Amino acid sequence: MAICPICNIKFDNNDFTSLSEHFIDKANSSEPLHVMWLNRNITKTKVDKSKLGLAFKNFYDLNTAGLKLWIINRFIKDYRGENPHPFIIKMQEYNPYIMEGYAVEHYFFLKQWVRSCSAIISKTDYADIQNYEMENMITEYFGKNKKAHIELLLEMAEGYGIDRNKIMKTTPLKNTENAIKRWREIAEKNQWIEIMAAMHSLELIANRALRPYGARYDYFNYDAFDSRNVPDGVRAFLMEGYRSDEAHSMAALELIEKYSKNYNVQDIQDTYLASTYVFYNYLEARIERGEMIENKQY
Amino acid sequence: MKTNNTEGCALCDATWGEYYREIEGEKTFFCCNICADIFENMVKTVKKETGWNKIDYLELNGNYSKGRICMAKSGDKEFKYYYRTYGDGRLMEFKKL
Ligand SMILES: [Zn+2]
Ligand SMILES: [Zn+2]
Repeated sequence: MAICPICNIKFDNNDFTSLSEHFIDKANSSEPLHVMWLNRNITKTKVDKSKLGLAFKNFYDLNTAGLKLWIINRFIKDYRGENPHPFIIKMQEYNPYIMEGYAVEHYFFLKQWVRSCSAIISKTDYADIQNYEMENMITEYFGKNKKAHIELLLEMAEGYGIDRNKIMKTTPLKNTENAIKRWREIAEKNQWIEIMAAMHSLELIANRALRPYGARYDYFNYDAFDSRNVPDGVRAFLMEGYRSDEAHSMAALELIEKYSKNYNVQDIQDTYLASTYVFYNYLEARIERGEMIENKQY
Repeated sequence: MKTNNTEGCALCDATWGEYYREIEGEKTFFCCNICADIFENMVKTVKKETGWNKIDYLELNGNYSKGRICMAKSGDKEFKYYYRTYGDGRLMEFKKL
């Protein structure tokens, strides 16, 4: 299939003509989300249907490099390349409000995360996939001889004086809510390999091995956070992940690539695109929540 | 008022879309209403900050990701600032430079 990541509607495999018609239609009426997506992902210059169709064909083309590299390249372009995500820019220095906003909104991300991982397990018999997801859930929720990721997150918030019960009772911001809604739908409707691509691709945000692939920014500036001005809880939360092997791991993407031959690759690409579209907005919610906290609106 | 974006949208120079809004009494082309919102608010912010009653020219350098380093001109006066927004157009950061 080919997807419009904004409307989340699908067209037949390789039907880039219909996809282009859809976008041109929306652009002609200046629908802002479609125009913005075209500007950022395809081209800022208005082109006709056939040229746009060709551009979409190139956009989806794996260029013999394979699915793993396609996802990595797209992800870097959206988040950690020449035009990084604003959250990545914020993380190049230590800002307590950003970390507080991160802690609040990310709690809801993690709640959805475990639902998505368990959906993957429930939809496959492959032992390597099930084991991978179980390990992942254990790290997030229980930890192995160390604290669970979600516990480190809540302790970071508590270090700033935000009670964990307050976070749990918070209504997430609109962008977070919309993202969760989409991830939940993907977990319910899509195949295991698509859910895996939708979710585990997002872990590239903190991956430390992306420089050789062209990343220009790290998830955060290590020196800025490795300072006595930064609370222990923040360092524990960020550095735990930073030092672990997982920060270099491409294991999930390798599993996806391994099994992708048996599936419709374009459907896997679509699910990645649908997921990254809402993830981009979700990361803005971390900044927005931080700003609310700074302005004493939380 | 003119900007250094001569091809398309007054804010981002994209040529998609067909959205017009009156800015400072002039019908201005934008790719979408979010760019128009950002631009309109930017003009208001600059006028409020400087006390000018009109802006002749805006130079915008940057994009949605890094925000924009801008210079406004009114007569022989100049004002430099940094401006960035959320994806929906709401202001995230405004700084005098
Ligand atoms: Zn659409
Ligand atoms: Zn524009």
